[in-house]
Amino acid sequence: MNRWWRPMALIAVLALAGAACAETTKTVTGSLPPVASTDPDDPPVTEVGDGEGAVNIVAWAGYIEDGSTDPAYDWVTEFETNTGCEVNVTTAGTSDEMVALMQGGGDFDLVTASGDASLRLVSGGTVQPVNLDLIASYDTVDPRLQDAKWFTVDTDADGEAEHYGVPYQWGSNVLMYSTDAFKNETPDSWDVVFELKTLPDGKTNDGRVQAYDGAIYIADAALYLKAHSPELGIDDPYALTLKQFEAATDLLRQQRELVGRYWHDAFVQMDDFANGEAVASSSWPFQVNFVEGAGTRFKSVVPKEGATGWADTTMMHVDAPHPNCAYQWLEWSINKKLQGDLASWFGSVPAVLAACKGNELLTDEGCATNGEGNFDQIYFWKTPQADCFEPGAGKACVPYHVWVTSYVAVIGGR
Amino acid sequence: MTTATTGRRIAGFFHRHPRGRLLLLLSPALLWLGIVYLGSILGLLRYSFWSLEEFTGLLSREFTLTTYAALWEPANRDIILRTVGIAALVTLLAAVIAFPYAYYTARFTSPRMKTFLFLAALMPLWSSYLVRALAWRQILAEEGVLLWVLRRVGLEGAVRLILDAPVVGGPTLITSRISLIVVYTYLWLPFMVLPLITALERVPGSFLEASSDLGARPRMTFRRIVLPLAKPGLVAGSIFTFSLTLGDFILPTMFGGSEFILGQQVYVQQGVVGNDPLAAAFTFVAMAIMVVYLLLAKRAGAFEAL
Amino acid sequence: MSTGGARAGIGLKISTVLVLVFLYFPLAMIILYAFTTQSSSFSFPPPGLTLRWFGIAWGQEDMWSAFGLSVLVAGAATLVSLMLGSLLAAAVYRARFFGRNALSFMVVMPIALPGIVTGIALAATLNEFGVPFGYWTIVIGHTTFCIVIVYNNVVARLRRMSPSLVEASADLGGSGWQTFWWVLWPNLRTAVLAGGILAFALSFDEIIVTTFTRAQDPTLPIWIFNYLFRPRNRPVTNVVALLAIVTTFIPVLVAQLLTRDPTERGSGTLAAAATQPKT
Repeated sequence: MNRWWRPMALIAVLALAGAACAETTKTVTGSLPPVASTDPDDPPVTEVGDGEGAVNIVAWAGYIEDGSTDPAYDWVTEFETNTGCEVNVTTAGTSDEMVALMQGGGDFDLVTASGDASLRLVSGGTVQPVNLDLIASYDTVDPRLQDAKWFTVDTDADGEAEHYGVPYQWGSNVLMYSTDAFKNETPDSWDVVFELKTLPDGKTNDGRVQAYDGAIYIADAALYLKAHSPELGIDDPYALTLKQFEAATDLLRQQRELVGRYWHDAFVQMDDFANGEAVASSSWPFQVNFVEGAGTRFKSVVPKEGATGWADTTMMHVDAPHPNCAYQWLEWSINKKLQGDLASWFGSVPAVLAACKGNELLTDEGCATNGEGNFDQIYFWKTPQADCFEPGAGKACVPYHVWVTSYVAVIGGR
Repeated sequence: MTTATTGRRIAGFFHRHPRGRLLLLLSPALLWLGIVYLGSILGLLRYSFWSLEEFTGLLSREFTLTTYAALWEPANRDIILRTVGIAALVTLLAAVIAFPYAYYTARFTSPRMKTFLFLAALMPLWSSYLVRALAWRQILAEEGVLLWVLRRVGLEGAVRLILDAPVVGGPTLITSRISLIVVYTYLWLPFMVLPLITALERVPGSFLEASSDLGARPRMTFRRIVLPLAKPGLVAGSIFTFSLTLGDFILPTMFGGSEFILGQQVYVQQGVVGNDPLAAAFTFVAMAIMVVYLLLAKRAGAFEAL
Repeated sequence: MSTGGARAGIGLKISTVLVLVFLYFPLAMIILYAFTTQSSSFSFPPPGLTLRWFGIAWGQEDMWSAFGLSVLVAGAATLVSLMLGSLLAAAVYRARFFGRNALSFMVVMPIALPGIVTGIALAATLNEFGVPFGYWTIVIGHTTFCIVIVYNNVVARLRRMSPSLVEASADLGGSGWQTFWWVLWPNLRTAVLAGGILAFALSFDEIIVTTFTRAQDPTLPIWIFNYLFRPRNRPVTNVVALLAIVTTFIPVLVAQLLTRDPTERGSGTLAAAATQPKT
């Protein structure tokens, strides 16, 4: 028992040394894991040089197809032949995973970030502004997307917003419903998922409804209230005052009684619909296209209150190891053919409107089917900020981390 | 010959200086676990003493306990209790299922059979965790094999009964909590079986003989002799089942209702939400739970007789 | 093995069989659905059977490289953790120093804590030290929790071993090396093997820590996870799982046959007698 404390002391010292070494170079928000901060004095990329031979992209499944899933869908091989940049895709299953990968030590160049992740990447100093002069085709991007708030941010407060990426595609959330439950009627309002109702098949919707398990869904509730409770004065469903926010969460608590399950995974939801467990839910065109019985047993609609949507942006890592190939991909990502093929595969709408015409896979009706005309009714995902997206205007909105804790509570029954 | 002599000299040195030998043996692992692992955990825990400013959402590095206070909020308390509850049920179920198998394997089988049964319990670990989980989705689906069989034998009503039960029930098989528990049990069962087999092997045959010589029936022998001696194995296995359940975040997206559990919270909070202090605080809770559990396990002798 | 004179009751035998069924029925389903003709759903009974998915899986180059990476990672993690874990067990099993308890704790931590904690913590630290993510960072992550598996198995066996064995060997004139090879190793090797196999299995199937410590190339579990998000060809994952089972079954079986415990043959050697549990 003599000098028993020595090994303990050794362990403790080593551990504390390790902890001290983990003291990070601080980023804007000090987020974890640490990332080197963007030095404002570093000149932005001013020209695209020779390709480095590879480009590493973090993407959602199905976003970057090379023909291996379906030979008709390949927009990688030609790029590789033209530029000599080999495309390495790392698939991520969630936005959280994308954030983790981009902040980690892997050598990623690009990421196809959704609106809930894009602002987090910007504020975390993980992505760099894109020099639009180097993207020759940028003005073919849908003008409504070109300066969208979820990737165009004035980070250095010089009065001019920087673009942190290039739009890739967008789509809207839809109301997917079972034709068996609704007989020949098409539901025209989100009330079928928010309020207790009797459906055309004679049964109530109690327990047969689903809702998305991500906190961003609060915006869908806010959107519903925008139409049905105008006295609340909700304008942007992502910029909610405390009062508006509480009204939305109250609606969600009411909805909790109706929900059979909160969906997280597209396939799980498809199975639930195919099994008859769910008959109505907010969903993505992906499920609508691929569920067993798509088009016959299951259809979709964008209800009259409008819908939330997602618009993904290809963003570049602040320390991208292959910036030249990355820029070449950014330019390639908005070419007409790719955009059309991608939209066809995904059931989404291209970021480049010219892609809607003349694409074999998409067909000329494809864009309309996928909801292009609904743009003005779509409220695209963006991470709620405390300043209501208007820095310096003195407004106060509920920030995202409160959304998350509140929604977790709602789902948990509190 | 000289190398052998040098070797002997070195061996002799270490024999006379046990602490030196100790240090040599320990240092690689110590360095690894101490600096890299423990250091990074402590670095993570620092965040739990910070907080996000309520309105701006920016990280404030001032020491505060408000993040831990936030853990006490009903919703978060629910998460912690729910997770611990599920882990406990999984451990219990795994112990109950594993015991007969381990007992039989340890004591009543020929060496060849024992090897076979030992390996048979081990093999499922080789197939992917994800695919095994998926297989259960396929089994439990409304159109899947379990209900198909039950309908054939007219036992579908029994399923309804289970689903209506409180706590473990749910609207359908897949969305019921009991399915989550069963699938976890299934996945971690080999981890419970193997230490149990090892522990039960160690029960000296002479104890059992003595017990029956003294007039005890098999059941009493079991209760009084076998079970207490098997406890270390049970506890060792439970460390796995408990902690693996505590940290998982993938399975709840496939089974059970939608309420969140601990691992998911850590994942989500550190991801897009960027609420690293809360993620770290949840981590600390998980650590605290496991440390307490390990302390109790040590008391039960699990560390001595794995 | 003495049973105290009793024979196994029929109840015990049935329970054992039931547990085996419980363990293997889902695997049977995995195999069954590897042949189903349905591309996106899995109803029972399957409407038809086909070998199509095998062909597709065979041609998936990215699956094979993921498979290879998993094998390499698991191999390296197993080897390193075998070394570190065995050394640790050797140091700990007899020595009495107070920090020993703390050490036991620390060793169990990587397994006892949720994988995501290990993942995040390691990722942060590795990133801070500028270690480029890739093969070695994955190995580092896996080794951290594999050490305890090896440690547990080896230390348990060491504790069962009589220390007088080593002394006897030295008394009889054996050098350190001879003692190790002829006395220690035969007793330890099954424990080391068991620890190694378990560590390999754990590493091969691991997904959570890997997510945080990886770069571009996926390991097999990550490949499967990503494949699950594709709309079609879902039975391919079943085929891949089948592949994993089959290919790992063989070396495990071979390893087990090669290192059969001498005590199981009931040999009357000193070593065998010495390793019987103390009465």
